[in-house]
Amino acid sequence: MSNSELQSRASAGVIAPGSASMNWVRSAKSHLAAWGPPIVTFAIVAVIWQLLALGNPYVLPTLDAVGSNIVSNPGMYWQNFLVTAQEIAIGAGAGILAGFVLAVLMAELPILERAMMPLMVTIMVTPVVAIAPALVVAFGFGMAPKYIVTGLVVFFPMLVNSLAGLKSVDARAHDVLKTLHASRWEIFRELRFPGSMPFFFAGLRIAFPLSVVGAAVAEFAAAGQQAGLGSLLTIAAAQANLPVTWACIALLCLTGVLLVAVLAVIRRYVLWWSEDGA
Amino acid sequence: MQSGISSAATQLVSEEVGVEVSHVTKGFGPEGAKLVVLNDVSFSIKRGEFVSVIGPSGCGKSTLLRLVAGLTEADHGTVTVHGEAIRTATRHKSVGLVPQSPALLPWRTVHDNVSLPIRVNSKANVDRRLRDPRQILSSFGLGHAVDKYPFQLSGGMQQRVAIARAFVFDPMVLLMDEPFSALDEMNRDQQRMGLLEFWQSNRKSVMFVTHSVPEAIILSDRIVVMAAHPGRIAEIIDVDLPRPRDENVYATDAFRDLEGYVRNSLKSVMAPGQAA
Ligand SMILES: Nc1ncnc2c1ncn2[C@@H]1O[C@H](COP(=O)(O)OP(=O)(O)OP(=O)(O)O)[C@@H](O)[C@H]1O
Ligand SMILES: [Mg+2]
Repeated sequence: MSNSELQSRASAGVIAPGSASMNWVRSAKSHLAAWGPPIVTFAIVAVIWQLLALGNPYVLPTLDAVGSNIVSNPGMYWQNFLVTAQEIAIGAGAGILAGFVLAVLMAELPILERAMMPLMVTIMVTPVVAIAPALVVAFGFGMAPKYIVTGLVVFFPMLVNSLAGLKSVDARAHDVLKTLHASRWEIFRELRFPGSMPFFFAGLRIAFPLSVVGAAVAEFAAAGQQAGLGSLLTIAAAQANLPVTWACIALLCLTGVLLVAVLAVIRRYVLWWSEDGA
Repeated sequence: MQSGISSAATQLVSEEVGVEVSHVTKGFGPEGAKLVVLNDVSFSIKRGEFVSVIGPSGCGKSTLLRLVAGLTEADHGTVTVHGEAIRTATRHKSVGLVPQSPALLPWRTVHDNVSLPIRVNSKANVDRRLRDPRQILSSFGLGHAVDKYPFQLSGGMQQRVAIARAFVFDPMVLLMDEPFSALDEMNRDQQRMGLLEFWQSNRKSVMFVTHSVPEAIILSDRIVVMAAHPGRIAEIIDVDLPRPRDENVYATDAFRDLEGYVRNSLKSVMAPGQAA
């Protein structure tokens, strides 16, 4: 539709057909079509926020107050971000790996799935918010409870999704491999593992944002000791320091957005062959 | 060239047994309430012989093929390939399978899909005349597609890749379960002719499941007609059309006579009130 519009304008002599300027206009237009609506939504929310904040200075900070607070203390936020990022990298990394490895074992040994799945479900329905303080008691205020909570949060979605993927093999390709007397390892290498990747990435799509939640919750439980955006947030909230509180929230949110964006890029490289690869 | 293949081809039908299915019975379901799918089925395929299996839907053709592929086990009876029990035969990579859908690996190139049988169970590669995947692909008219991915190929081309994958490791026996059924009629005829041509210069024992009477006739040396409920062999029909064959065979009187005969045989098998 926008193309025909462009063409009619072009024939009217406004833009020469096929010219560089026309191509530029076209790509600018398509960019606008993709980015325009969400930008408008964000802009409206920002305006409403700003109006509410100006009317209720003790409830919400203004956006410029939050922004200037971050800009004036870049070192502090960066240090705390690094701590949280480390918790996510190590904790979620271990949780993702553990979930996948256990899924592989369960897929290869069905008895293991029957034996362990009820326990896994029991652990996972226990709220992390409840586990975190108990882990602080057990492991102290160091990094260990943060790794464990973050890992625990991503473990289950990775386990369930990977297991579903490893089991969803193309039955006919499996027949072909069986007829060739391929070993278990060969079937895993050639079919199960690569075939499970779409499910694995669906698990990561859940696990990545959850890992931010896990790290923040773990820091809430142990606030006051270790750095981290979650700890900083708790302390600032206790002092009713609104700009710092909201700056931490904004940075945690940004971390999640960044993780999801990175995942989308990796997914495109790994899963280009999948139908829903984009 | 043509006559050379012709004389070689006629010699290549050996009297030695390639596949031997003897008194095979197979049922599904729990003991006691078992549904008998195959009842006392016996037939054999000579080395280098092309045998088609035809019959009504649900008569157990795929089940029979899976038994010969070693994918399921018979309740009674035995299956042997070149004298070996089927378990031993698959361990030696003696059987190639072309399933109903191409079942290619989407993350592998056409070349790497075709070389899959060479990559796995490589112990069985010794003393074997493995084919060059590129060469076999070009003889299937896919030389230009070697480095493409399956999703870049049409359905007919994908199925040809699946057939090349079954031929590449030079198995003694090829099993094909309606390999062309997902293709449109024009494409199907083209693929059928391609298989016929390739097989005529690379004679293997073939078990070919199909629903198409003309397909069974033009390809086969013999046609096994099956009846259902329970699955059993109703008749085995010799196809004594000279080889090598090409699409001109469709127009001959001998072909039409045979077609009428096979259709009659199928009709009597499918007749209502047929005693089980
Ligand atoms: N794994 C299984 N479990 C239970 N029943 C089965 C199984 N496999 C096949 N059957 C049954 O066995 C019968 C024969 O199936 P089979 O697939 O061999 O038939 P077919 O001749 O290949 O049919 P079609 O022409 O439709 O492909 C059917 O009634 C089917 O429901
Ligand atoms: Mg079938």
